[in-house]
Amino acid sequence: MKYILLMSGTKAGVEGYHAWSKQDIDAHMAVLHRINKELADSGEFVATQGLADPTETRIVRGEKNGLPVTDGIFPESKEFLLGYWIVDVANAERAYAIAGRISAAPGPGGSPTNMPIEVRRFAIREPQSH
Amino acid sequence: MKYILMMNTMKAGQGVPAWAKKDLQAHIAFMLGLNKELHEQGELVSAEGLSFPDQAKLVRAGKDGLPTTDGVFPESKEFLAGFWIIDVESPGRAYEIAAKVSGAPGPGGAPLNMPIEVRPIMSGPPAEML
Repeated sequence: MKYILLMSGTKAGVEGYHAWSKQDIDAHMAVLHRINKELADSGEFVATQGLADPTETRIVRGEKNGLPVTDGIFPESKEFLLGYWIVDVANAERAYAIAGRISAAPGPGGSPTNMPIEVRRFAIREPQSH
Repeated sequence: MKYILMMNTMKAGQGVPAWAKKDLQAHIAFMLGLNKELHEQGELVSAEGLSFPDQAKLVRAGKDGLPTTDGVFPESKEFLAGFWIIDVESPGRAYEIAAKVSGAPGPGGAPLNMPIEVRPIMSGPPAEML
């Protein structure tokens, strides 16, 4: 079963992260890299990706003629996706266990960030005839 | 340049939309057609739909490192319904594709004009964070 683990945060949270010491950032990234490697070794890894800064985000809608209209103004409280992991696991509990480990990655001074990670199952695709 | 197009149209507790079967089929046919077109142009990296918000869980690491799950979300929370990752020449092309997604047909065939969040994907963590 495929799950996506979504890590979200506000603009203020992203600015806070940029203010971490290099040592804290290194320790945080080292734990995430280790989790990725373990998932690759266990065959559960599908993909992971970090997204660029929220200031580069645009909201697009199609106009009547189908042409895009864009908007980049968001309320301060809006949560932005920071990054995600896609995992292929035996059951939901395993997806929660992986999300728990990501949540426990160290923050400033080495204490766990305890970031909330949203866990969502992929919708099952109907077989396609083409 | 890689971009993610996010369709954040669902709210907490929502299930399958109460549309006529014909309308749902037209909507899905539109999305499959668009995916096929993007694939043929070499711009599609991946596209996935997620299960409905009633199955989403929020996970944090507990003190012992074990996952604690919560499925209660504020009514106003927006949920990711699905996403596309595309590899395109310019932001303008990403917005054009997002506008097409936005214009997918809804009840009675009228365009939904859903807002689509467009974000550049980082090719990797910034060098100073490794």
